[in-house]
Amino acid sequence: MYKWYAFKRILRGVFMFALLMCLFSLLFNQVNEQTQRSQINEQVKMESMKLRNMRSEQLTAWRDNRLDQLTKLYKLDRPLAERVLFRALNTITFRFGKSTIIKSSKGDQDVLTILLEALPRTMVLFSVAIVFELILGIWLGLKKAQKPGGRLDKSTSFVTMIIYGMPSWWLGMMLILLFVYVLKLFPSGGVNSVPTPQGFAFVLDRLWHMALPIMTLVILGFWSLAFVIRNLVLGILQEDYIMSARARGVPERKVLFGHTLRTAAPPIVTMALLSLLASLSGAIIFEGIFSWPGLGNLYWVAVQQNDIPVLMGDLAITTGVYQAGLVFLDLIYGFLDPRIKVGGKA
Amino acid sequence: MSMKDFTYRLGEFWADFRKETSGLIGLGILALCVVVVLLEPVFLPYKDIDGNWRDITYWEDNPPAAPPAWTNLFAKEKSATTIRFESPSVSDEEDPEYGPVRVFTFKYPYKFDKSPLDIIMRAKGTGMLFMNISMERPDGNSVFLGQVYQDGLVGDQIRFAVDTDARGSVYEFIRDHASEEAISQSDSSNVKPTEIIFAQTGEKMLSERIPLKGDYLYKIKIPASLFEDGSNSIEDVRLVVTGRVSGVLGTDTSKRDIYSGIIAGLKWALFIGLITSIISVLVGVMYGIICAYFGGATDTIMSFIFEVFVSMPMLPILIVLSAIFKPSIWIIIGSMIAFYWVGPVKTVRSMALQIKEETYIEAAKALGSSKWRIIFKHMAPLLLPYSFANMALSVPGAIVAESSLSLLGLGDPTIISWGQILHDAQLSGATLNGLWWWIVPPGLFIAVMGMTFAFLGFAMDKILHPKLRTR
Amino acid sequence: MEKLLEVKNLRLYYHTSKGAVRALDDVSFDLRKGETLGLVGESGCGKTTTGVALLKMPSPPGRIEEGSKIILSGRDIMTLPEREVRKNVRWEEVSMVFQGAMNCLTPVYTIGKQMLETLHEHRDMDNKQAEELITEYLALVGLPPEVMGRYPHEMSGGMKQRIVIATALFLKPKLVILDEPTTALDVIVQAQIINLLKKLKKTFELSFIFITHDLSLEAEVSDRICVMYAGKIAELGTNQQIYGKQGPMHPYTEKLLQATPLLRKKVDSLSYIPGTPPDLIDPPKGCRFHPRCHKVMDKCSQEEPPLLEIEPGHMVACWRCGK
Repeated sequence: MYKWYAFKRILRGVFMFALLMCLFSLLFNQVNEQTQRSQINEQVKMESMKLRNMRSEQLTAWRDNRLDQLTKLYKLDRPLAERVLFRALNTITFRFGKSTIIKSSKGDQDVLTILLEALPRTMVLFSVAIVFELILGIWLGLKKAQKPGGRLDKSTSFVTMIIYGMPSWWLGMMLILLFVYVLKLFPSGGVNSVPTPQGFAFVLDRLWHMALPIMTLVILGFWSLAFVIRNLVLGILQEDYIMSARARGVPERKVLFGHTLRTAAPPIVTMALLSLLASLSGAIIFEGIFSWPGLGNLYWVAVQQNDIPVLMGDLAITTGVYQAGLVFLDLIYGFLDPRIKVGGKA
Repeated sequence: MSMKDFTYRLGEFWADFRKETSGLIGLGILALCVVVVLLEPVFLPYKDIDGNWRDITYWEDNPPAAPPAWTNLFAKEKSATTIRFESPSVSDEEDPEYGPVRVFTFKYPYKFDKSPLDIIMRAKGTGMLFMNISMERPDGNSVFLGQVYQDGLVGDQIRFAVDTDARGSVYEFIRDHASEEAISQSDSSNVKPTEIIFAQTGEKMLSERIPLKGDYLYKIKIPASLFEDGSNSIEDVRLVVTGRVSGVLGTDTSKRDIYSGIIAGLKWALFIGLITSIISVLVGVMYGIICAYFGGATDTIMSFIFEVFVSMPMLPILIVLSAIFKPSIWIIIGSMIAFYWVGPVKTVRSMALQIKEETYIEAAKALGSSKWRIIFKHMAPLLLPYSFANMALSVPGAIVAESSLSLLGLGDPTIISWGQILHDAQLSGATLNGLWWWIVPPGLFIAVMGMTFAFLGFAMDKILHPKLRTR
Repeated sequence: MEKLLEVKNLRLYYHTSKGAVRALDDVSFDLRKGETLGLVGESGCGKTTTGVALLKMPSPPGRIEEGSKIILSGRDIMTLPEREVRKNVRWEEVSMVFQGAMNCLTPVYTIGKQMLETLHEHRDMDNKQAEELITEYLALVGLPPEVMGRYPHEMSGGMKQRIVIATALFLKPKLVILDEPTTALDVIVQAQIINLLKKLKKTFELSFIFITHDLSLEAEVSDRICVMYAGKIAELGTNQQIYGKQGPMHPYTEKLLQATPLLRKKVDSLSYIPGTPPDLIDPPKGCRFHPRCHKVMDKCSQEEPPLLEIEPGHMVACWRCGK
């Protein structure tokens, strides 16, 4: 039952991704092709420079021939629809081509390599943050739900509202001002110190660098999560089955953590993941502020250096990750909620 | 729903809303913002800011990267603030040197420890003009600043700045009042003319520059004979003392008054936020209702389109679009709406589905109401309260999105937005140089705007979702 | 017959920001061992509230007020600490079969897990023994043991009701409160459940408090019937006394019975009780039924009638019916 559901959902996700890639390919057609053409010209120039012992007419002929060859290779001479689809297909199969300027840490110009280097850095930041957000959010949310309308509840709701419209990057800036310049506790950015320490010190150094960005994310994230959890839990506590569990003699602790939280798990996880996906969007500037070399930061760099292939590739991967997140969300929800996992016949 | 129903509902809503302190705070701040926007000229010290934000000459007279004026309260040594004088006192006198002269005088009470950076005189002149400019100090000494001679003026601007135009004269003053020794010992090229003008004479004049406090008189003497034939005139005589601190929120490296930038940016923030959220929520609600009401193939197709939009991460796409197409603010707003409309759809659709099953809808259909009549008269009014709360809660997101774009330098350069101010700050290394008055206010105001609408939105949400009320 | 349960002066108020809702206002009745006491009345009259009160589980902001006594097998549970009540009274001595079996099982746990959980809280058993016990009771209610591995949403209404009954019984309580156990079910399943209940009652020598708004059902099931109105008892008597030839005495009961159309009589118009149930924050002065009563007198709007015994075992709270 569930396996079939999971399969269908994943299929839908892949299909959606492919569709979006086609859309992007069409939308950014002009820009992409401009870049491709100039890249081709560059390549031909490079190659012709290596040739020796050729007379000028021969050289010109060779050049034209080569240009023609490459144009055909990239299908730039074909009708629009074919070009768009061809490029979309390339993107879907992760053939992103070469960057114009940006290089990976090994000096490589392959866009995919550049992206794949950046991806885990972003992932690590957000995964750790979400874990903390969940822990703190659940703890606070439950506490608020136990005494609704009480002092803790009202004051924390107040804070939630204050933080609601705060851009993550601004909070990041403020925290940097405070912790880096005033208190001098943390580094101002980057992934590692220079020179890079080895072994266990490397891990510690990493953690030290991650501390501020994660603090920023968690501070912003767990309040709203707590608020949502509080509402969810309050709603569930009014349900008949909770009263029934209490009547049957289940101790309060088990009622709260077992029956209530377990029932709330699907929407809680969904909310947490959704907010994660949303903050992924904001990560672009956020990473920039902390000079954290993840996918978000790549956008900055690519825009500043006008490196279109990297930009497009980043967009593709971001959309892919986003889509994967949405699919994962549905899968987890289905897994956690027996009503979907086991299907019903009642 | 009739007008009477509406006013009744509104009254009920207001009675509940009044009890929410947070909602009232939000409403208060919002009202304040609206007042500021409407009465912008009152709050702006620089009235023509919108067109001139990027015009260097407009800000010429300000100090660059100056902290706010009120930082003086916390400083041991008080820095001179930037002041503008608009109406000099005019008198006709007998001058020992020039005979009958017309004197324009500005009185500048100096009570600071650190001198101004510059003193700039501006005027509009016609014909031929000759001016003798000097500064009378409280200790009786008069510092000759310079002479201005211009001919063939046709309402042109005359500008005289002490820092640039009076160096030589101030040098003379030094030679008259300081010892040879002191002059040779000091590094006079580093000393600003203004520092000397406002320093006490004597031994320590060059080395320590102890401030001379009191009333200073800036005098412009014009020979009266020039005005006799009427072809020569001078008007709009103004004096700007460029201090080391300036304004409510200081200045940036391009000498722009940040406070004015913030006030000017307020209307854009409000506008962008409200337009985006109102339109996108309206679109979303209608979309949801139509999906629910028509069902069947329409629903399927519309749900599919909806899914496509949901799968698109907004900011990255906005960034790429802006980087490549460099759109104006209207296109940016349009694109934001294109992403935000999906927000309310799911909830509205399920609510609408429930309403659809109600008997009175069936009754309306039986009575022959057209589809659109049912949608607008029966379904929409029920869903409207929910959408209001949703609108309020969407505003902060829109404001932040636009600020994010501007921060990256991808916004519309013709408008003043808080994100842009931050972008300029980043670019000019404000963080590295500790120019906190540049970095903190724009982001702070964005956050405050977000907070305001969060207060409003949550208060509205609480009232319209009674299930979550605590007794 | 010995008294299993004695309720005296039970008051349960919900303290809301708008005032105290007097859901149960000075309710007193007895239950003898082996009998079925029926509680009837309109929605909101306090039937279910009585049920949860007997379990000492008022839902917040409800509170059982001072002066209320609930004496179960000689012990006043109002004086017992919560821990004691949870461990030894609830489910051990008195259990409850809930209304609308639809929603009283946690959707994310299997049936088996929930039943096991209940057992583990009260008995020291290992899983094998517990499962055997559960299987035994499931069989009693006519369900196969596979049910234990299923989730609530996979069961039909009737099956869930049976599960709830089995859960209410397996600790062998003396008193079972049944709150509208058949309301959401179709008539055939309803009949099955009622028969099952009768059988179980006999087998285990149980005492029931049967709460419903369905008068005909009540007549079939209950030995004695308690008619409630607006948080107070209007009438209390045996099945015969209420439904029998002499006819009931309280105008409310009279109207209730009239409102039930008879299968064999021709119905020209449906009889009903005009008006709506009263506001329990500020109930009507005097007799709470007086605004809707067709036999109202002046005294009714001034003084509240006490519950008087007008014939042995038959109590009525009405000025019309006094001496």
